[in-house]
Amino acid sequence: MGQGVHVQELPGIGKRYDIDLGHGGTRVSVVVRRDGTRDLYVFTSRSDEPTAVVELSEEQSRKVGAVLGGTFFA
Amino acid sequence: MHADLIGFGAIVLVAGLLARAGRRVGLPSVPFFMLTGILLGPATPGPVLIEHPEDLALLAAIGLVLLLFNLGVEFPVRQVFGSGKRLFIAAGCSIGLNVGAGLALGFTLGWGTPEALVIAGALGISSSAIATKLLIELRRLANAETPIILGIIVIEDLFLAFYLALLSPILAGASSPGEIALHIGMSFGYLLLLVAVAKWGARAIGWLIGSHEDELLAIGMVGLVVLVAGLSAEVGVSDAIGALMIGLVVARTAVRERVERLVLPLRDVFAAVFFVGFGLSIDVGAFGSVAVPVAVAVAVTIVVNISAGLVTGSLFGFNQRGAANVGLTVLGRGEFSLILATLALGAGLDDRIGPFVALYVLVLAVLSPMFAAQSRYLARVIPDQFLRSRWRYVREETMSTACTHLGRIQITETDGDACRECLDAGADWVHLRMCLTCGAVGCCDDSPGRHATAHFDETGHPLIRSLEPREDWQYCYVDGALVREPIGPREPVES
Repeated sequence: MGQGVHVQELPGIGKRYDIDLGHGGTRVSVVVRRDGTRDLYVFTSRSDEPTAVVELSEEQSRKVGAVLGGTFFA
Repeated sequence: MHADLIGFGAIVLVAGLLARAGRRVGLPSVPFFMLTGILLGPATPGPVLIEHPEDLALLAAIGLVLLLFNLGVEFPVRQVFGSGKRLFIAAGCSIGLNVGAGLALGFTLGWGTPEALVIAGALGISSSAIATKLLIELRRLANAETPIILGIIVIEDLFLAFYLALLSPILAGASSPGEIALHIGMSFGYLLLLVAVAKWGARAIGWLIGSHEDELLAIGMVGLVVLVAGLSAEVGVSDAIGALMIGLVVARTAVRERVERLVLPLRDVFAAVFFVGFGLSIDVGAFGSVAVPVAVAVAVTIVVNISAGLVTGSLFGFNQRGAANVGLTVLGRGEFSLILATLALGAGLDDRIGPFVALYVLVLAVLSPMFAAQSRYLARVIPDQFLRSRWRYVREETMSTACTHLGRIQITETDGDACRECLDAGADWVHLRMCLTCGAVGCCDDSPGRHATAHFDETGHPLIRSLEPREDWQYCYVDGALVREPIGPREPVES
């Protein structure tokens, strides 16, 4: 745990977590804003621009996080 | 009373709707609040919703106070002071260039010295709200230069407090140098007093307003803030500073997070009233007489910020794209410029300042999102010499990583398979690392020799990568972070 995860303060906005996924520059950046909104940046190549950016409310990110964390829903 | 409610409700609703329409096309909201006030105010022909702007005076004053209080509460003290000297140098250059140019322009206009000082501040301090929203909307939160941009605008906010302290005695009408010095001394003394309260009295303040019920906390908070702001104005320090400082005090109490949450909607509403109220005092007819100075001011602001972006870019080792983004993201002017103009008008300075700042803010409100979005065109024309001439830059690639030294990657492959220094000494090593600037191979920190780290200490080459099979990572010594692969396709390094 922890290796390949980089935390960056964004003064006035919140915190950014860069998570390196290893191959070919694939990585995910999660920005947690102070108001609870999360911005999910997905990079699938070494290129400059993010492949996708999703803005999630607190409620939505809990949902996504629960599924990613392995919670099962009936 | 009845008529007042109709006028007030209608103008606030129109302001909200106009700002919403502006947001649709990516324009900032503050100028639209002001525009509403201008269009529907008594000084402009056409429909008039508020006949007497002074009816709004109290509400607008509360808006100003809450705006600065919120700034103080949210001020990220730890992040800013923990971020190192380079950020302060960059911010200092940015502020110095901006305020210096503003001052020069202010004196050139010849409206008077206090007027020049106000113009310097109004031109010099960028709008944090506009820059922050731009970064979110342009999806640049993951860029390497973004933390630096945010750091700079936060330091600018801090600078605002000192600038207000400097300015308030001059606005209060002090004329002789002795009188001014006395007033400035009082202002800073008062600031120190509040800093002392922040350091030692935060608990007492927390106890005073800290109810566990949100309702009572909100009421206590507003009462305290407005009272402190009023007292500050009474002793000759502006209410704006008082509000900002009490915000810093509250930020140190246990109720900080709840206050932050509670003050936001209040601030949004009352600040909008403040901006509308400023607009009400502006006569559209006066725009003609300030058009030329405003055009010059806008041009100066653009040139100065691009220069400041280049300074920051070369300090932090950004490429052209990063430097262009730094310069063009902070073009927006808004809340702080309007606060300074309001203070100036309240002090009875030259009344051309009102329309001048209003038009300046409006023009930049339209230009700044466009310039920020198109920064890559600027990146194409910045020569390498303006940044660091010894480096090879990939001009237009976004540097989308936390590490700021990727520009120094010169070589990524080697066929070296031994740590030469260890071989010479007859020692053993655990893993091998390779310097990405010169290609030197050294042993890792788990090896007795630690020659890769020694190589960095010696040469300052910041980046290494692992030479172990199946390991694909790079590490930056300066940033102390793992970094990802170099950005985009690079030109082969021959020569």
